[in-house]
Amino acid sequence: MTRRLGFLFAALIGILALPTSALAAAETNFQPVQEFINEYWTSVTLGPLEMGISKLVVYLWLGMLVSVVLTLWIVRGGLRTQPGRTQTVVELLYTFSETNIGQSTLPKAAFARWFPYVASLFVFIWTLNMISFIPLPLDTHNPLWGPIPGLTIYAATSNLSVTLTLTVMTIGISHFEGIRANGVVAYFRSWVPPCPPALKPVLIILEVLSQVLRVISLSVRLFANMLAGHLLIIMCIGFVILLGKLFVAPIAIPIAVVFYIFEWGLVASLQAYIFAMLSGIYIGSAIEPHH
Amino acid sequence: MALTDQGLVDAAKAIALGLGTGFGAIGPGVGVGYLIGKTIEGVSRQPEMRSDLQGMMFLGLALTEAITFYALLMSFVAFFIA
Repeated sequence: MTRRLGFLFAALIGILALPTSALAAAETNFQPVQEFINEYWTSVTLGPLEMGISKLVVYLWLGMLVSVVLTLWIVRGGLRTQPGRTQTVVELLYTFSETNIGQSTLPKAAFARWFPYVASLFVFIWTLNMISFIPLPLDTHNPLWGPIPGLTIYAATSNLSVTLTLTVMTIGISHFEGIRANGVVAYFRSWVPPCPPALKPVLIILEVLSQVLRVISLSVRLFANMLAGHLLIIMCIGFVILLGKLFVAPIAIPIAVVFYIFEWGLVASLQAYIFAMLSGIYIGSAIEPHH
Repeated sequence: MALTDQGLVDAAKAIALGLGTGFGAIGPGVGVGYLIGKTIEGVSRQPEMRSDLQGMMFLGLALTEAITFYALLMSFVAFFIA
């Protein structure tokens, strides 16, 4: 039954993709990278900061709405002891983040304080990743017809600013909590593991470097995964347009569908899980070094 | 067709994109293969550990796979921005 559904789903995407690429074959200056350029619709400046609304901001709002409002609506009027189907899904999500993300990474003393942060990171990033694969009419650069914007797949997490903000929050919290729990001197001393004194300078440099590189690796992992995933899908469909020949479509579109299912089914959830889990590990290991 | 300076730069960028992505995929490719091979080995020795090992495998898979994307990202930087 599920297999039949899968085939149906694949066929549907294929059928949907074919006419669009055939139509767009007339367009010669198609650029897949164009989809990821943040174009502001309105311009609101606050000093050096650009606070205008763009596709990215709308996607962030959508993620916020879906993750907060939908969950509040599902649990409206309190939770029931005999859970319905929707309540079961929410409970599953909560149990997963409690056992697999919270309890396995955070020390017991800090669990009550930082589990909400880590769990909301997981749910928010997961929601953003999941809605990013639904084609939404937000592409104002390539209008579908007249004023109607074209369909596009775009992830808010495929923008470095978003992932870097979340990362800086996590790293800032981990240092703050580490200093609060251990004291300034003891915390920075705990970075360097016990070693012979001759090796100390080398280890200090390495450990400081690894602390700095955490910011880059944590933010770029999520960003590059989502960007590469979306770019692969758009590129595969775009081959038909870029080469301008329709006979590429029977090969390129199924590959795009395979990537689409792989990215939506596995990578989107896995990256959200890894981001939240590493956040938990960083905060936990700052509070309790070498446990 | 004469080779202009701009043409040379464009060609170098295209080569950088190809070489960067290709070489960047070698290490993670070895890593992913090793990871999955070891998981299969572990499961064949202790089939009751299958679900635990699979969970850890997917985690390691995502961490290893991300390294490819670092290389891809830097290649894109070289191609589109530099």
